[in-house]
Amino acid sequence: MNQKLAKKNRPKNLNLFTIRLPINALVSILHRATGCALFMILPVILLLLQWSLRSAEDWQLVLAFLHSPFIKLVLMGLAWAFFHHFFAGIRHLAMDVHWMTTLMKARYTSKVVMVLGLLATLVVSITLWL
Amino acid sequence: MWIELLTKRYPGMRAWLSQRLTGLAMALYSVLAAGRFFYLAPSDYAAWVDFFQPLWWRVLTMLFWLALTLHAWLGIRDVFKDYVPNDTLRSVLLKGLVILLWLYLAWAAYLLFA
Repeated sequence: MNQKLAKKNRPKNLNLFTIRLPINALVSILHRATGCALFMILPVILLLLQWSLRSAEDWQLVLAFLHSPFIKLVLMGLAWAFFHHFFAGIRHLAMDVHWMTTLMKARYTSKVVMVLGLLATLVVSITLWL
Repeated sequence: MWIELLTKRYPGMRAWLSQRLTGLAMALYSVLAAGRFFYLAPSDYAAWVDFFQPLWWRVLTMLFWLALTLHAWLGIRDVFKDYVPNDTLRSVLLKGLVILLWLYLAWAAYLLFA
């Protein structure tokens, strides 16, 4: 009984804003968040694919939709989600075969993942807006 | 053999390895798809239809979606396991997830082969 009470009264620190994430933790949680985001747009991808293949007029409509400024911003966000998930995933695979597994190296590869994700997004954004 | 890890006898290892293998498969497909897209650069409707015309490409895309289905199942299942402590709610969400992924899979198959 006492043990149960003690367990209940344990202090919790779940205020996410008081936790400063180290870079590898940041990459990790973003890997998860981007995975969720990519999962959530699956029906949109299928819908757009279906419309774009249905007829020439629908293809035109889908293209016009994807070229509207607001959607372009969304696409930039999704591009980043994809690239971050992609590079963070490759980092995981590398670590699974015991590459870059010490703390310092893991921090370094985390930075590499962040930079590559943002760079790839930049390239896509440039082609998107030009 | 490591392939043994994909059998039911090692459920944890099976999930772990499946997640990696499907991830790797999708990464390879993504690079290939991007390369093919930039090489063919479909600029009108006919070219876009042609892009999905070859059977090998449709089969490869279907395999990609299969990998995606498994990968999404493992990933979102982990998210539910971590953040939904209520057993009833979690099992409902997991069932919903399974239904949704089956629907997407059928939808993708319909788009590619119907």
